[in-house]
Amino acid sequence: MATKQIKVALLGNPNSGKTSLFNALAGTNQKVGNFSGVTIEKYEGVLKYESYEIKLIDLPGTYSLTAYSPEEVIARNYIIEDKPDVVIDVVDGSSLERNLYLTTQLMELETEMIVALNMFDEVEKAGTKIDIKQLQKLFGSHIITTSAVKKTGISSLLDHVVRVYEKKIDIKKNKLTLRLEIEDKLLDICELLKGVKGLKKYNHRWLAIKLMENDKEVYNLVKEYPVWIQLEEILKKSIIDCKNKYQSDPEVLITEDRHAFIHGAIKETVEFPSTKKKTLTEKIDSIIINRVLGFPIFMGIMWLVFQFTFKLGEAPMGWIDLFFEFLSGVATSVLPEGMVQSIIVDGIIAGVGGVLVFLPNILLLFIALAFLEGTGYMARAAFVIDKIMHKIGLHGKSFIPMITGFGCSIPAIMATRTLKNRGDRLTTIMIIPFMSCGAKLPVYVLLISAFFSTGAAGNVLFGIYVLGIIVALLSAKILKKTLFIGESEPFVMELPPYRMPTIKTTLIQAKIKAFMYLKKAGTIILAASILIWAASNFPQNKVLEARYEEQINQVNINRSLTQEKKDELLSNIEFENQYMQLEYSIAGRLGKSIEPFIKPLGFDWKIGVALGTGLAAKEVVVSTLGTIYSLGEVDEESVDLAEKLRADPDFTLATALSLMIFVLLYMPCIAAIGVFKKEAGAWKWIVIYAIYSTSAAWILSFTAYRVTLFITG
Amino acid sequence: MQITLSDLDINQEGQIVTVQAEGDVRRRLLDMGLVRGVKLKVLRKAPLGDPIAVFLKGFHLSLRIEEAKCIIVKKISNDDD
Ligand SMILES: Nc1nc2c(ncn2[C@@H]2O[C@H](COP(=O)(O)OP(=O)(O)OP(=O)(O)O)[C@@H](O)[C@H]2O)c(=O)[nH]1
Repeated sequence: MATKQIKVALLGNPNSGKTSLFNALAGTNQKVGNFSGVTIEKYEGVLKYESYEIKLIDLPGTYSLTAYSPEEVIARNYIIEDKPDVVIDVVDGSSLERNLYLTTQLMELETEMIVALNMFDEVEKAGTKIDIKQLQKLFGSHIITTSAVKKTGISSLLDHVVRVYEKKIDIKKNKLTLRLEIEDKLLDICELLKGVKGLKKYNHRWLAIKLMENDKEVYNLVKEYPVWIQLEEILKKSIIDCKNKYQSDPEVLITEDRHAFIHGAIKETVEFPSTKKKTLTEKIDSIIINRVLGFPIFMGIMWLVFQFTFKLGEAPMGWIDLFFEFLSGVATSVLPEGMVQSIIVDGIIAGVGGVLVFLPNILLLFIALAFLEGTGYMARAAFVIDKIMHKIGLHGKSFIPMITGFGCSIPAIMATRTLKNRGDRLTTIMIIPFMSCGAKLPVYVLLISAFFSTGAAGNVLFGIYVLGIIVALLSAKILKKTLFIGESEPFVMELPPYRMPTIKTTLIQAKIKAFMYLKKAGTIILAASILIWAASNFPQNKVLEARYEEQINQVNINRSLTQEKKDELLSNIEFENQYMQLEYSIAGRLGKSIEPFIKPLGFDWKIGVALGTGLAAKEVVVSTLGTIYSLGEVDEESVDLAEKLRADPDFTLATALSLMIFVLLYMPCIAAIGVFKKEAGAWKWIVIYAIYSTSAAWILSFTAYRVTLFITG
Repeated sequence: MQITLSDLDINQEGQIVTVQAEGDVRRRLLDMGLVRGVKLKVLRKAPLGDPIAVFLKGFHLSLRIEEAKCIIVKKISNDDD
């Protein structure tokens, strides 16, 4: 017998345990994609049950199916257009009344559905009694009690999926009847819709309800047809009628009726425990978000997340670095010197290494975030900080991505997915790179140690970080007043009960994020690293090379030199050659051609090249300066490089200050741009951002340079 | 004078009379169950005074004072129902 395929969609409120249930059903057998056109993750999984193959799709968590948020539109379009065979409505049993609101909307759509009454372990523990039979009758759907964590009810759920699919169901669908005035109008509207050919595939009653609810998507759909003129009459009249009778409009009345239906159903079927003792969540909240401790605890948790991500990430990042160093060592010794070796070692291995090196941070951050989300603290964090964020036009949820930016922009930008509103999200993404990331630190350390006294060093460094924050905050204000005017998510947010997330779910979430980074951003980053490599190595200067070989030869055959002296001379020759080659390369020429633009900031072409290669990764600014000042491998503590910079008459304190500010603010590294592109969706935003950040960098560096010159004379 | 949700003290209960918000905010409030007749209780304020947390229909909801001002309520004495 051929296996039959059943298409099943999971729908439910945020925090109803949808993800956990999906994992319990599909195991690790899942893949992630995006819903077309939006950056909302689409999880799919397959499982075998009896002789059926069940294809699961996890729809975004929503409270409702109106057309107000992209999640809702996606979930609802999927149900209407893709017509899954069965919809599993995941309902949090410990918060039944609110969760069933979504169920009433599924009833309106008349989809084949099963309610998974999840968190049933908690319901039982609280001592709440639910008359499932009666509830099933009222909602006209099978209701299966489940616990995604304790793994109960899973097979019964699958069993009912098959039964619904095979039409072996014994529960009659029920219709939620709205108040008379509304029902009358619905009948009139349905009558008109009946005649429209193009709307045959839709459920007419549902369309009618949505029209009365003023739903923009359905409006646009129906407006195309000539009946619209008559429909508009009815709708207008119903608004007037409702105003007269109830001082309210149909949208509110329909919502009220749904809630009233649920309220009645709950009264009839649910028996709450008589003693009203404080729940665990209330007890925890009275400490964790109280007026005195709320803020310090919040700061402490943020500090922990930061430490967890970046301190714990240091060691594995070091290993990855070492591994790639080792790899390039091997490749250098195995491959013959020349083009091929160079592209493999300096291009590919360095590029792949540059992508992989962020993996520990990304994994750790997302483990931390998934954990905070799973426990329910995330919403509290937004609650505590929202007042401050609101002042700059952002949402409380923007805070976590922002501070993550101090470590690295890449995981920070990825973390903006918790922001549902496009304007909030893009604004947050765009200000993240101003939060000075870890890779910029070596640049500051080098310049500060070269030009500032040890006494001033700390203050200068602090000043740079503060400047970054100020620019970020101002930019948020500007962006919210110009590009994203009025685009904000209202702060009406559930504070979910505290729960202990399972390790498995937390890890699966983090793994998925890491994989997404590798797949999408990795390719862009790799390609760009190779491009930068090519720009600093081509074209090759043949004359230079010949002279170089000649010089090496001469040193080698010179008998009057000790081996030590020889080595020193040889490495000097090599660095000098690197310098000349860089100057000759595309990068060097670009550096020279942009010199007029950066001259006013006190930069010459050498700094121009360093800024260019710095796009590969900000700390590369230091090593490029090392090459240019003919020092070979250097790091920020290199005393030699600091000395050389000081010795350069063109490089003054003013230049150093100006350069630090420029590095702080100009375009983020390619890795960040790759992720930026992926999260923002369109290149347009990158172009806007590149222009914006580079102009900001230019203006502030220019100001700093001129003012410092003026002061220092 | 009308009182709104933002006027209620902590631990005070109220019953919604009407929601006067528009657009997105209104839809969101309606979907979260803030409709006429629903009883709710103010639980706490955020450490900086805004937003506030309320309890209704068995769950905790937070909203900004700005939004709470759109919700007209009448006070109910703490001991009935
Ligand atoms: N006690 C209990 N806890 C559960 C159950 N199902 C999920 N949880 C916990 O509830 C929390 C939220 O679960 P998720 O699976 O992340 O919920 P979700 O609906 O996917 O939430 P979003 O990802 O925000 O949409 C986690 O801490 C889970 O461990 C259950 O049946 N019983």
